[in-house]
Amino acid sequence: MKRTSEICPSRLPDNSALKQQQLPACRLQLSAAGVLSGFFATGAFCLGVGIILILSAKSIKEIEIKYTNICGHCAKLREDATNFDKECTCSIPFYLSETMKGNVYLYYKLYGFYQNLYQYILSRSNSQLMGTDLKDVGNCAPFSKSHNGTPIAPCGAIANSIFNDTIILSYNLNSSIHIKVPMLRSGITWWTDKYVKFQNPSTFNLSSAFAGTAKPPYWSKPVYELDLQDPGNNGFLNDDFIVWMRTAAFPTFKKLYRRLNRIQYFVEGLPAGNYSFNISYNFPVTRFKGEKSVVLSTTTWSGGSSLFLGLAYTVTGAVTWLAAFSMTAIHLMLKDRTKLFIEQ
Amino acid sequence: MFRSKKKSLEVERRVKANDREYNEKFQYADNRIHTSKYSILTFLPINLFEQFQRVANAYFLFLLILQLIPEISSLTWFTTMVPLVLVITMTAVKDATDDYFRHKSDNQVNNRLSEVLIDSKLQNEKWMNVKVGDIIKLENNQFVAADLLLLSSSEPHGLCYIETAELDGETNLKVRHALSVTSELGADISRLAKFDGTVVCEAPNNKLDKFMGVLSWKDSKHSLNNEKIILRGCILRNTGWCFGMVIFAGPDTKLMQNSGKTKFKRTSIDRLMNTLVLWIFGFLVCMGIILAIGNSIWENQVGDQFRTFLFLNEGEKNSVFSGFLTFWSYIIILNTVVPISLYVSVEVIRLGHSYFINWDRKMYYSGKATPAEARTTTLNEELGQIEYIFSDKTGTLTENIMTFKKCSINGKIYGEVDDDIGQKTDVTKKNKPVDFSVNPQADRTFQFFDHRLMESIKLGDSKVYEFLRLLALCHTVMSEENNAGKLIYQVQSPDEGALVTAARNFGFIFKSRTSETITIEELGTLVTYQLLAFLDFNNIRKRMSVIVRNPEGQIKLYSKGADTILFEKLHPSNEDLLTLTTDHLNEFAGEGLRTLAIAYRDLDDKYFKEWHKMLEDANALIDERDERIAGLYEEIERDLMLLGATAVEDKLQEGVTETITNLSLANIKIWILTGDKQETAINIGYACNILTDDMNDVFIIAGNTAVEVREELRKAKENLFGQNRSFSNGHVVFEKQQLELDSVVEETVTGDYALIINGHSLAHALESDIKDDLLELACMCKTVVCCRVTPLQKAQVVELVKKYRNAVTLAIGDGANDVSMIKCAHIGVGISGQEGMQAVLASDYSFAQFRYLQRLLLVHGRWSYFRMCKFLCYFFYKNFAFTLVHFWFGFFCGFSAQTVYDQWFIALFNIVYTSLPVLAMGIFDQDVNDQNSMDYPQLYEPGQLNLLFNKRKFFIGMAHGVYTSLALFFIPYGAFYNVAGEDGQHIADYQSFAVTMATSLVIVVSVQAKDLSDLRLDVRAHFQFSGFSF
Repeated sequence: MKRTSEICPSRLPDNSALKQQQLPACRLQLSAAGVLSGFFATGAFCLGVGIILILSAKSIKEIEIKYTNICGHCAKLREDATNFDKECTCSIPFYLSETMKGNVYLYYKLYGFYQNLYQYILSRSNSQLMGTDLKDVGNCAPFSKSHNGTPIAPCGAIANSIFNDTIILSYNLNSSIHIKVPMLRSGITWWTDKYVKFQNPSTFNLSSAFAGTAKPPYWSKPVYELDLQDPGNNGFLNDDFIVWMRTAAFPTFKKLYRRLNRIQYFVEGLPAGNYSFNISYNFPVTRFKGEKSVVLSTTTWSGGSSLFLGLAYTVTGAVTWLAAFSMTAIHLMLKDRTKLFIEQ
Repeated sequence: MFRSKKKSLEVERRVKANDREYNEKFQYADNRIHTSKYSILTFLPINLFEQFQRVANAYFLFLLILQLIPEISSLTWFTTMVPLVLVITMTAVKDATDDYFRHKSDNQVNNRLSEVLIDSKLQNEKWMNVKVGDIIKLENNQFVAADLLLLSSSEPHGLCYIETAELDGETNLKVRHALSVTSELGADISRLAKFDGTVVCEAPNNKLDKFMGVLSWKDSKHSLNNEKIILRGCILRNTGWCFGMVIFAGPDTKLMQNSGKTKFKRTSIDRLMNTLVLWIFGFLVCMGIILAIGNSIWENQVGDQFRTFLFLNEGEKNSVFSGFLTFWSYIIILNTVVPISLYVSVEVIRLGHSYFINWDRKMYYSGKATPAEARTTTLNEELGQIEYIFSDKTGTLTENIMTFKKCSINGKIYGEVDDDIGQKTDVTKKNKPVDFSVNPQADRTFQFFDHRLMESIKLGDSKVYEFLRLLALCHTVMSEENNAGKLIYQVQSPDEGALVTAARNFGFIFKSRTSETITIEELGTLVTYQLLAFLDFNNIRKRMSVIVRNPEGQIKLYSKGADTILFEKLHPSNEDLLTLTTDHLNEFAGEGLRTLAIAYRDLDDKYFKEWHKMLEDANALIDERDERIAGLYEEIERDLMLLGATAVEDKLQEGVTETITNLSLANIKIWILTGDKQETAINIGYACNILTDDMNDVFIIAGNTAVEVREELRKAKENLFGQNRSFSNGHVVFEKQQLELDSVVEETVTGDYALIINGHSLAHALESDIKDDLLELACMCKTVVCCRVTPLQKAQVVELVKKYRNAVTLAIGDGANDVSMIKCAHIGVGISGQEGMQAVLASDYSFAQFRYLQRLLLVHGRWSYFRMCKFLCYFFYKNFAFTLVHFWFGFFCGFSAQTVYDQWFIALFNIVYTSLPVLAMGIFDQDVNDQNSMDYPQLYEPGQLNLLFNKRKFFIGMAHGVYTSLALFFIPYGAFYNVAGEDGQHIADYQSFAVTMATSLVIVVSVQAKDLSDLRLDVRAHFQFSGFSF
């Protein structure tokens, strides 16, 4: 004690704001008026956004046709895996009562297909898909090697289970003239997917680049022959493949299949009239009690959104206003009472 | 700590001087010390082993192992590995640096040199090579290397002085003296080298103030006690040199035996947290089971068909087994409801709060240059929940600076100043103090205002002479002369200092002492008294005596002590004086003065010799020595002649009254536990506002038998309740309904009551069957004062309240007698003051003045509690919101244990994404500023009632978390369901969903941290975010 007291000045704690717990702080001074106006403002904002979203969602035109049952014979055929090499086509006529204006998109939609299963999501090899190392089949088991030991490219359960129906839309001007609606198969992927995450091995000739690899067991064609018309749309850069590889969050999902090419009859969009889908039915869904459908849809600025978000905003806005009104009422009542108190 | 089992069984130690071979047989520890825990090789295994003994760490290790099993690993191993490794590494680094410094100090200590007698020569030897039985030479201001038996010293009669600061923190000098047979050896190396005495003594232990042993040398036996022993850690002072024989070395020394055994206190929030963590774990298992059952069903209904898409081989279609694996997978995923970071954050927050206490300038006492110190960093939030304070009086409420105020000599009172009206008034400034300038040795700071005492001295009143002579002779004070030739007293207790100083100023100057003489200057003439026996003070005897032979050859016993004790020992002829003195004593005590009674006895030469013989015999005993000696002391301290009494004033510390008033306003009950007289205690009670005049009743329990005490307690209770409740139905009914009744009763009692109970009664009252009565009564009183209590009773009282009231207790004290109570209470506070440092060393918090207690509790404690509660509520909320999303997602991903967030996000969510706001909140948040918490002590009550974090709050937080997780999951689910981007692209993919959820989670949780929960901004922020994400 004696010794310490001789060096006493150093034992006095610093007088800094931190050490004395005097750091500047801002405390919200909430006044009734401030809080209420805040509530009203947020309520108004949410209502506004909600209504706009609902309106824009309403303006979307959408047609969905489930074809699992319509193409029942094909579904039956596909239930038996040994029939994989038998082709099965199916035509679905439908009538479009209103013109679908603007860009029209063609989707396929799957019900009950669990792309979000833990083992399924993992079952891919990103380094293979980047084209850096075709032999890298990391997490792909059991779809990593073919029976004779050659690595599968693209490997994994996701790639293996690619949606392989072909959907062709025809415009039936009359009973004899069927015009194949021109569709674009480009521009249906995320930019980052197409240009960053997926790359072909850097060789001039794709088929030689993929030499030494096997095709996924459920595929009928190797990956470098996915699109026979457009040689640039092959290998890992095939748009349909890339779209499929972006796994869906929920067991019911729709994925973009084609975009309408707005030429000839279709400059304005899809005119009203008779159409038919010609589907070559390859993808088996009845095995897992799922369903397939094709969807034609337009979009607006807010995307091809459903009503949900708009409704959610509207409800929140309404509830906020309700709360705000009741708080105002309470506030006014209490104000009177406190006044009374003071007067008494 | 590292003694082998063989040695820990040691019952008796046998050491022979200068005979290493003989001593080696016993394999006593040598003088090398290891306070370090690890060596380079053992660090990793030992440290890891220690760390994984903590339940939390072990739990996370278990999770990590689960994650390494590929079948069930739903998260990659790094999600647990990263935080676990971080935590383990941080702790390991801290342990390693601590240990490195311990190694360094060990090395430094082990390599200190000391002079050791080897082969009849003094040789410099490193401390670590010193062995038991060696003879060591110490020089002035040197550290003592081991526990030594003092053999001889440079001072006459083998005296030596030591400072024990490192042992018990006391800085005053203490005297040790060698046996006269050994002190003759002097510095004669050849004789010392031939010294071959054998010491038989107790096994190593940690009692600093006790030693028992016998030295056998040259066919005679000499008893040894603590006075002959110099302990390791002491410093030799004012002594040229001394020789000592090593008895305990290294780890066996009392210093080392005392170190490192700190009892670990936990806070109630800690315990609650552990319970909650167990509950959460149960909840986790439930969720796991639900999801596992879900998985089994799903596998059975859907998965089997779906399997072909996933697996090439269609074998192992066992849905139950799949469910079992899923259970473990979900345990792994959902474990984040109890993240490791919870424990780390809690520690960090507490550490921060402790630093704030250390840094607080408003708790810095410039008088002693002492800042407040949080010696334990894990108890801070409990400071905000204190319900009972147990306070010592002397040195805690008072300054413990004693001044001699009054005395009663032979029935005459001195020190009171009569003013003109004849009324007794206290000293005022207009009175001139007694002029001591004639006495060159007088202490200038001493002031006395009654001139009659000086006159009596001049008149040569023999009783007054005897009185002052006693004050100068009967004490343990040590004297030394400073450079200016001025006499300085080294005192162990301030009371003694005050008395000796008073005697000094009145002309009876204590000059010096040896182990066999005391020299005083009596009114200018030097007189040397032979000190024949010294009957020391302890808490049971409550008195001390010296037996001296004056130059005329008369043997006298001088005794001073507590009046109650001493009055029982008086000669019957003192009757008249006794009544007079008792009146005076009551008067003194009524003014809050500390009193001592003074008495003497003339001893017959022959009688004394017989007695002394018996004392020496008793001293040579090993068994029952203390009892025998106590009996002998009792025997000679009788038939005393009363001289008078002294009254010493101990001023109240600054701000005590305000502090106590404020703490009572904060609904904290303050109990005073003091060793003082009842009157003194009551008076101090009034002085510091614990007792007030507007109290309805003050019950005084002063019974001498159990029956009396019980009766008095019952009466007091009847008084308290009026006639509404009858107590005749006995205690049996009571004991069971004690707690329920109490809470009801407490509300029905109106008005303030106080209970005063003395040590005698307390001893009876603490017996099991009256305990409940006492407790019930005491808890209904606003104030309880226990006087004349022993240290053990202090601890018992604390224990009683702690155990039966389930309340958070705080004990505050400054002296060695408070240590037991400080250790016993939930929180012990030490006043770093006059009476040494033992209390501080045993305490959890320490500061210099009682008034800082107010700030410690009302500001720091309140903030700590408030912050910790807010932090915990928030933390549990946050992690429920974070984790339960996986549960909801389970229903949409076939219960496949797919996580919603990215793996790295899960690993870093608590330690990176959301750690800082919550830490900042936990460390810095102030609901009201310090001034307001001081001004409105009522703000303290939520802590006492445990309102801010309890099971209810936890469930609210949990429900809130569930709600947030629902909003977090289902709003994006609705928004993402069947949606497309504005360019028609597929955006309802897993990755976008995961990122959206993660981002909304971070935003929601961070906004929530700002405690705007009332505005329910979370949902809204979420909508907005969902909007932005398109």
